[in-house]
Amino acid sequence: MNRRPVALFTFLGLGYAFLYGPILSVIFYSFNENRLVTVWSGFSTKWYGELFRNERMIEAAITSLKIAAMSATGAVVLGTLAGYCLARMPSFWGRTLFAGLVSAPLVMPEVITGLASLLLFVGLEQMIGWPDGRGVDTITIAHITFTLSFVAVIVQARLKDMDQSIEEAAMDLGARPWQVFYLITLPLILPALVSGWLLAFTISLDDLVITSFVSGPGSTTLPMMIFSKVRLGVSPEINALATLIVGIVTTGILISGMLLLRQNREKERSAREAAGG
Amino acid sequence: MHTVKLWASTTALCLGLVGAAFAPAALAQKKVVNVYNWSDYIDPKVLEAFTKETGVKVNYDVYDSQEVLEAKLTAGKSGYDVVGPTAQPFLARQVAAGLYQPLDKSKLKNLGNLDPEILKAMEKADPNNAHAIPWMWGTNGIGYNVGKVKTIAADAPVYSMKMILDPDTVAKFKACGVMVLDAPTDVFPTVLQYLGLPPDSKSLADLDKATDALLKVRPFIRKFHSSEYINGLANGDICVAFGYSGDIIQASTRAAESKRGVTVNYSIPSEGAQLWVDTLAIPKSAPNPDLAHAILDHLMKPSVVAASSDLTGYANGNKASTTLVSDAVRTNPGIYPPAEVRARLFTITPADKEFERARTRAWTRVKTGR
Repeated sequence: MNRRPVALFTFLGLGYAFLYGPILSVIFYSFNENRLVTVWSGFSTKWYGELFRNERMIEAAITSLKIAAMSATGAVVLGTLAGYCLARMPSFWGRTLFAGLVSAPLVMPEVITGLASLLLFVGLEQMIGWPDGRGVDTITIAHITFTLSFVAVIVQARLKDMDQSIEEAAMDLGARPWQVFYLITLPLILPALVSGWLLAFTISLDDLVITSFVSGPGSTTLPMMIFSKVRLGVSPEINALATLIVGIVTTGILISGMLLLRQNREKERSAREAAGG
Repeated sequence: MHTVKLWASTTALCLGLVGAAFAPAALAQKKVVNVYNWSDYIDPKVLEAFTKETGVKVNYDVYDSQEVLEAKLTAGKSGYDVVGPTAQPFLARQVAAGLYQPLDKSKLKNLGNLDPEILKAMEKADPNNAHAIPWMWGTNGIGYNVGKVKTIAADAPVYSMKMILDPDTVAKFKACGVMVLDAPTDVFPTVLQYLGLPPDSKSLADLDKATDALLKVRPFIRKFHSSEYINGLANGDICVAFGYSGDIIQASTRAAESKRGVTVNYSIPSEGAQLWVDTLAIPKSAPNPDLAHAILDHLMKPSVVAASSDLTGYANGNKASTTLVSDAVRTNPGIYPPAEVRARLFTITPADKEFERARTRAWTRVKTGR
């Protein structure tokens, strides 16, 4: 009788261990005194000290975070527009083609996207002189093009779930279309925007292939740096850096989760009040 | 009145925008030289010294494979002033494709410091050394766990390719673990040399013989991989590996640092070993060829090269710097081999498409064991 929950909890535990075990081991080993990444020889915070003295690594981390934030923001703006069109406009000329094009980057091999972006930038430079060389801006543009489809899919799904009669009611009450979008639609799909932003941020942060193609002088990102270190040896500084990034991301997700939870509670309360009163 | 105000604010806005657009341009006036190489390959301190001396900022970007560098160069206008291709096969085919500009040797006062032997080895890739200077070099050889190999076979021929290619010898180490590089161009030449055939042979019959030799020992090899053996050796998970000298020396350093009783040694096969050279060259599209020459000249100063050799643990192609390299690196026969071993080092030349295809097919046969 009581056995079912035990089995369920075991599976839950195994599932979480599968997801978070590797991350926990990175955090654990970041306090390892040993230079060998997987051999424990004592507690130490020396790799954090080394990390902060390693200017090149810090610089690469900042470049990566900057690119990730910019491309996530760009992808949310464009992805929302695309998702909105796909969910709210039942038919327009070329809709199937548009839907296919928006989701194509999801299944396109990164090597092809990377090479195509590189050729585009080189071609543009020859024709109109822009972009003048490649760097942070070209990486950001390339990242936006492939992360926006993730955002579009999320936004589209959220809009499909949403009760369209709310928007219609607002229009009945005299709101203009843009007012409906800003006052009704946007707040309702906000959770999708937040998760889309975070997803785009993460994808951009750890992309290596496309970034390698479209990077230029002065734009070494963290993944490029880490993979390049393989040649002469990866040091546990990377564990320390990963721990810091996990810390930052966890804090961000916790805050956004708490905000969403509070919003949901308020919504439920007002719904109850409306039903009761 | 109203319009005047509007006009004034619009002008101010426009001026602001123009100013904003020009500000980065003004900053960019500061001289910058863009270097593209492996991470940690050039000591950051020597680049800082260059900045202090000349006022030129050095942008040091890194790649994770030679292929990425090649993709950048072939796409055109990479924006880099100095890049670090490996002599074979990358520099060779990139020089042939006209991706580099000839060095202006009048601007390179320190050229005399370079090692003539290494320059000669590079000539196969870069005729007359017209486009590139050597940076670090090393060999392909045998890394082994000293303790374990001794317990298994006290008389193991650690200075010979028999460690990998003699079926009776390598069979003893099967249980302990044997790994080999996953790179046909870095394995076949050494096998040919072991068999007494010309290492640079382009004959299909020779290739077949080398393939057969590898197939005989295939059952005893745990894995073909080009970097896993570093940790494998350092942790004591494997006993013997055929790999790049730099990687095995790195494994040896790590094993020593972790103080777990693992000692890793590198030996250059007595039959003769393949030499590799990492070079420095200036792409044709370099935005600042003058500065590129200046930094190349800086990177040929003995003290500068010696500092980078100490950092990487690799031998360098700068003869004048040898005495300045730390004892640990300089006296290691795996890094700076004695003259009689150096005499047996060899390099290879690029193959034509047909042979390359045959070699790739042969390599697939070796890896799959069929």
